[in-house]
Amino acid sequence: MIGIVVVSHSRALADAAVALALEMVGGSPPPIAVAAGAGEGVTGTDAIAVAAAIDEVASPDGVLVFMDLGSAVLSASMALEFTSTDAEVRLSDAPFVEGVVAGIVLAAAGASLADAAREASSAMTAKNAQLETSPEPAAEASVVSNGAVDLTLLNPLGLHARPASMIVAAMGGLDAEVSITDTASPERTVSAKSLMGIMSLGAAGGHTIRLEASGPDAARAVDAIRVMAGDGFGELE
Amino acid sequence: MAEGTVSLDQLVDWLARFRDLVTEKQSYLTELDSAIGDADHGSNMTRGMNAVMDKLGAAPAGAVDELFKSVGMTLVTSVGGASGPLYGTFFLRIGMTAGPVTELDGAALSAALRAGLDGVVARGKAEAGDKTMVDAMGPALDALDESLGSGSDPATAAAAAFDAAQRGRDATEPLVARKGRASYLGERSAGHLDPGATSTAFLFQALAEALA
Repeated sequence: MIGIVVVSHSRALADAAVALALEMVGGSPPPIAVAAGAGEGVTGTDAIAVAAAIDEVASPDGVLVFMDLGSAVLSASMALEFTSTDAEVRLSDAPFVEGVVAGIVLAAAGASLADAAREASSAMTAKNAQLETSPEPAAEASVVSNGAVDLTLLNPLGLHARPASMIVAAMGGLDAEVSITDTASPERTVSAKSLMGIMSLGAAGGHTIRLEASGPDAARAVDAIRVMAGDGFGELE
Repeated sequence: MAEGTVSLDQLVDWLARFRDLVTEKQSYLTELDSAIGDADHGSNMTRGMNAVMDKLGAAPAGAVDELFKSVGMTLVTSVGGASGPLYGTFFLRIGMTAGPVTELDGAALSAALRAGLDGVVARGKAEAGDKTMVDAMGPALDALDESLGSGSDPATAAAAAFDAAQRGRDATEPLVARKGRASYLGERSAGHLDPGATSTAFLFQALAEALA
C-alpha cells in the first residue's frame, strides 16, 4: 500500500482533511503522516519534518505527498533532498482537500502510486462537473443492449464520495474494466476505478446507472457493484 | 588573514549582522508583507536567524561548508514560510560550493554566492522581474562580480553588491508579483516593495558591513 504524506501550514487543517478522507475508508487505511506547522504553534512548513514524514510512511510501493500552498510546495520539494528512503516519492499537484481525499481512498483501495497520483491530479473534475448546469433527467432509461447492466440508485444521495470510494475499493483486486454511465446524462462514461470520475457523474438518488464490463473478472466486478447498490451503499434507513 | 580574503569569523559576523538587521526591521518587513502577503516575513526571518545564531553559539562551525550547512538546515526547520526553503537553499548551496575551507577569496566568494542564487532560482522557479528576492540578489551578484573583475577586494565588491541590491529592491515596487503569496493579488501587488527583496537587501547590507 502506498504511503500518504499531508503537508500543511496548519496542523488543524491537515488533521481535518485526513479525518474527512478516513470517513470514506472502510477497511484498513494506508500509512499516513502529517507534516504541519513549523514548531510550537508557528503557522508554516518545515522541510525536515516533511522528509521525516516521508521516511515514516515509505515502503516499496511509494509515497504520495499532498501540499496546501506556498511554502508547503517549496518545503516538500526541498524535503526530497533530505529523505533517506529509496522509495519513489511523488509530489501531487492536486488541490489540497480533494487530493488528500482521493489519495487516501485510492491508497486504501490498493492503487499504485502512478494510478493514485493521476487520479488525485484530476481531483478537480468532480467539482468542475458539479458546477456545470445540471442536465435534465431523462424521462426513462433507454433500452439496455450488449450485456450492460442497469442499476437504480436507492440511496438518496446517489454516487457521492463515499459510495464512489466503495466502488473504487471493490474494483481494487479485480482484473476487469468497468464503465459507469448515468443514464440521465448518457454522454459521459467513466471508469469504475476512477474516484473523481464516478463523483463527477453527479448521479443522484433515483437515477439509473449503467455498467458495462470486460475482462476475466467482469462478472464479479458487476456483481460487487450490484450488491452494494442493492443495499443503497449502506445508506438506507 | 590574507589580503583580499574573507575569514570564517567574518562570515559568522555577516550572519550575526543579518540577524540584527531583520530583528531591528522586523515590524517593517512584516508591514511590507501584510500589504501583499501573509504578514509574517519579519517574524519568520527574526525567528529563523535567532535560531541560526543560537545554533552557531552552541556548536561553532570549523569550516565554511559546515557553517552554511548548519545555517541552511536551521532556517529550513525554523522559519516556517517560503523564505525558509529559499534562504535555506541559498545557504546550503553556498556551503556545498565553498567546501571545507576556512576562508574565501573573491572568486570563491563569488562562486559560492552565485551557487546560492542558482539554488534559490531552481527552488522558487522565479525569474528576474517576478517581484521576489531574486530581483535584489541577481543584481547584487552581478555587481559583486563586476567589482571583483575590475580588481577590487571583497569588501569593496560587497559594498557594490549592497548598492545594487537596494536598487533591485526599489525596482520591485511597481512590479506585479508572479510568484509566491503576493501573486494571488495580481495587479494589486503593484505599488509595494517586495518583502523578500527587502530582506535580501539587508542580507547584502550585512555582508558589506561585515567585510568593511
